[in-house]
Amino acid sequence: MLKPFLDPVLFAPTLGSMLMCLASSLVGVLVFVRKRSLLGETLSHAAYPGVIISLFVTALFFAYSEELIAIVVLVGALITSLLGLYAIDFLKRKFRIYDDAALTFILASFLGVGILFASHIQQSHALWYRQSLLFLYGQVATMREGHVVIYGVLALLVVLFVSICYHSLLSLNFDRIYSRSIGMRTKLLDMLTFWLLAFAIVIGIRSVGVILMSGMLIAPAIAAKALTHKLSKLLFLAALFGVLSAYLGNLITFALPLQFAVPTGPAIVLVATGFALLSLLFAPEEGLVNRFLRVAKFARERRMENILKLAWKKGQLISAREVIAHFPLNALYLKFFFQKMVRQGWLSKETKGVYRLTEDGVRRAERIVRLHRLWEVYLFDFLGVSSERVHGSACEMEHIITPELEDKLSLLLGDPKTDPHAQPIPSGDRL
Amino acid sequence: MNPYWGQSFFSFFPLFFYRMGLLLTGRLSLSELAPDELQIFALSLIGFSCAIVGTFLVVRKMTMLANSLSHTILVGIVIAFLVCQPFVGKEGGPLFLNLGSLLIASLFTALLTSFLTEGMVKVFKVQEDASIGLVFTSLFALGVILVTLFTRNAHIGAEIIMGNIDAVGFKDIKLLLWIFLANLLLLLLFGSRMVITSFDERFAKTVGISLALFHYLMMIQVAATSIGGFRAVGVVMILALFTAPILTARFFTNKIFPTIFLSGFISFIGALAAVASSRSLLSNFEMALSTSGLFVALLFLFFILTAMVKCIQFRRRKSHEYSLSCRLR
Repeated sequence: MLKPFLDPVLFAPTLGSMLMCLASSLVGVLVFVRKRSLLGETLSHAAYPGVIISLFVTALFFAYSEELIAIVVLVGALITSLLGLYAIDFLKRKFRIYDDAALTFILASFLGVGILFASHIQQSHALWYRQSLLFLYGQVATMREGHVVIYGVLALLVVLFVSICYHSLLSLNFDRIYSRSIGMRTKLLDMLTFWLLAFAIVIGIRSVGVILMSGMLIAPAIAAKALTHKLSKLLFLAALFGVLSAYLGNLITFALPLQFAVPTGPAIVLVATGFALLSLLFAPEEGLVNRFLRVAKFARERRMENILKLAWKKGQLISAREVIAHFPLNALYLKFFFQKMVRQGWLSKETKGVYRLTEDGVRRAERIVRLHRLWEVYLFDFLGVSSERVHGSACEMEHIITPELEDKLSLLLGDPKTDPHAQPIPSGDRL
Repeated sequence: MNPYWGQSFFSFFPLFFYRMGLLLTGRLSLSELAPDELQIFALSLIGFSCAIVGTFLVVRKMTMLANSLSHTILVGIVIAFLVCQPFVGKEGGPLFLNLGSLLIASLFTALLTSFLTEGMVKVFKVQEDASIGLVFTSLFALGVILVTLFTRNAHIGAEIIMGNIDAVGFKDIKLLLWIFLANLLLLLLFGSRMVITSFDERFAKTVGISLALFHYLMMIQVAATSIGGFRAVGVVMILALFTAPILTARFFTNKIFPTIFLSGFISFIGALAAVASSRSLLSNFEMALSTSGLFVALLFLFFILTAMVKCIQFRRRKSHEYSLSCRLR
């Protein structure tokens, strides 16, 4: 498990990619909350020609040096990435080309220009060209300590910026009008956010490459979003997921036997996607699995309350046959359901197949009936709904009305004693 | 012996048209065609298909979907390749698809992408832009891993992005021709309905035109065109062919069919110029540039030039109007 850190060859790639993914996850959250995640994809593709051109220009004047390349490439990538950013804005403003078309056009064109230049230096400066390939899909394996230092410092800058500007960013992203009203320089902060995006992308493309970079912006943000609504937690969790994905991606790639060797970049992205899916499925409140469970639980409660109501109306005795006559339920399921209600204390077994309401059961049933009839009165008296229609709505609302709402209704309606069908409303004491 | 070797950029064109004339009158046989000409055919056919499909993509604001599909086709190609390979054998090199596999791949890709994206939005309740991004990057990552595992070709990664126009042969051109004809047929049959569903959904519904049908048909067309073109220009640059000529053509017209024709024409000129410059640079200056890269860069250049001309025109007209209005006072 700790092998990547202990092994001298694997140390730099793992730590390097972890730092890069830290930066990209943080900034990814910032674009995610603006609903502009796809901008990251365009900017990362737009960074590619910068990589190539900077390599080309450097090759003309300097001798081959990997550390120099690492720095120069960052500068070049940043320049073309920002150029892409302003080009998109220009196209949208001046020619009224809509967002998606501008993004797609810029990303494909810039990449094409990049590939054009790449094909040139493939012949003229082959050694430098090999360095450029690293940025297409990323290549962490050849990273060394020098790279880690560079990327570490840059990632730290990103973290610092986000921490310092946190409150402004919070205000800007969630209540723009308020921010403007207190005099915040919103346009400046917007620009800074997008510049930061370009910066983070440029840092990250060494690890996952230009094509997959947007994955490392989006996937950690999605994973974090399912777990929290607060921006501070979003940032923290996204960073955590990003770093973990980088770590596990490296671990997996190094652990695989040689015939299954896969590039690290895609592995990191797939791990990050895995985290996102797990989070979306199993997150405590918003996870899909939990949502289904909650819905199922509510359905069970509702069914139980309906049975109690039916029993109360039929003189506190109920049998399976009577229930099935009213609600479409499976007989076997009903048998277990009755047993469960007995266990919970709402029913007691009278004779075989016949159950009696307990005291608690009676009170609960009366409460449901009270809520049902109160709601009918409300609809009939206040909203003018005809008496035939009120029953359906009340059948749904009786399970949902809270005690507070019940009090308010009772107050509003003057504590009525009969419903629109002239049936008595139980006074209903609380359980 | 390549007849285009040593030609300058400008002498390329007359030679090309002369040889095309020979071809049409039967004095030049298909097997005598130079690789340059094959490349021009291939790129033009891709360009024409993309003009048809791309116009509707831009108009329907579906370019992000095309973006998504262009990445996910990698998975579709790999899976179709794995499924069909036992039946057709290895022909045409790595990841070559014949017509049958192409159809399966496009269908599979289009359905998979739309299913996953809509699933993420509706079931998992993730915002739309993030869903699109997650689906296509994860599928692309998966595709890269599968490709690396199954082809054992270290350079396949670069080929996926850049394409390998030099490996284009007759089989590819036949495939591209079929794709173009299919797109053309669909345009002729359903063109008016496509226009209606693009611009006026309510009206389409009232006359009973199925919106979903044309949406999914469009997705399959995009997938098929992208897969057809990926061998020549690579996965991402096909997007340039979907957008650049159309955006350029829109400076001149805002009607659908003229846009299609004009985009096709622009692509054709771009293809000619790309191959011509590639060949002349190679033979005269010993600069080997990627033809597909040149193609995309030229289309980009066309857009920039047209935009600049339009800007200047606009400014001149504005100042002319202004000076006129001054005089009238």
